[in-house]
Amino acid sequence: MAGTYSLTSAGITVVNAVVTLTFVNAPAAPNIDLCFRRFWVGQSATTPSTFNQRVQINTQVTAFPTLVSATPTKLAVADAASVITGATTGAAGTSGINASAEGAGTKTVIWADAFNATNGWLLVLTPEEIIEQAAGATSGVGMHFPVATGASPNTLNWAFGCIWTEE
Amino acid sequence: MFRSWGQSLPDDDHLLIGRANGVTFRRENKTESYVVIPPAYIITDSDGGTWTFGTEFNTYGEINVLRNDVDTGEFAQRIEYRRGVVTLYGRAGRRSFSRSRRHII
Repeated sequence: MAGTYSLTSAGITVVNAVVTLTFVNAPAAPNIDLCFRRFWVGQSATTPSTFNQRVQINTQVTAFPTLVSATPTKLAVADAASVITGATTGAAGTSGINASAEGAGTKTVIWADAFNATNGWLLVLTPEEIIEQAAGATSGVGMHFPVATGASPNTLNWAFGCIWTEE
Repeated sequence: MFRSWGQSLPDDDHLLIGRANGVTFRRENKTESYVVIPPAYIITDSDGGTWTFGTEFNTYGEINVLRNDVDTGEFAQRIEYRRGVVTLYGRAGRRSFSRSRRHII
């Protein structure tokens, strides 16, 4: 049950508001830990306007966001399936994308940045920076836009995701 | 028609069209000079070629370099676009994508 997994989506229309893009919640203990190594976000459509957008990596305790269920994909065929399964609730052991409601749980910002939508944003964490979420953690790890993107077409065709290892 | 990593996807003549992470990226202009991956996610060259990092690491912590989702066979720590040239920086020094779009030198 060890391997590298990706939660990725493309062609996503986000709401013009604060929105969680990806959310992964470690399983209940005892189980293996999640080590987040990469996050990315970009807009695949033609973007004549080069607007800037803020993005944050955060943890969030319950109440979790209401999400679109998304199941992680293993990067290596030989690996076992992830211990994480897709769900809309953000509960322990689940993952989802593109929240329709942010949930009342407090977000603790781990990493805050801003990017140009045309260039996108990639965060590759060095070994010392890897964001680890232990099994049984009371919070999930999310990537979210802390401010609205602005009206369409800024809300359209987002591609984003994260990669973690299960160790 | 997709013709290896030397050619973009010409389904619309006025757009620069490439692929990254399985998704078609359309741009009206090439990336501006001095954009670097990371923290940028993609670089679009003047042919519409979309440059990204893949998911493979070598023993030196460098990441494989993709153009239009095709592995270039190169590893780098960062990819920079400057004055129309894609340059890879890494342990092997500085390498650039040739003007002929055939080689990384």
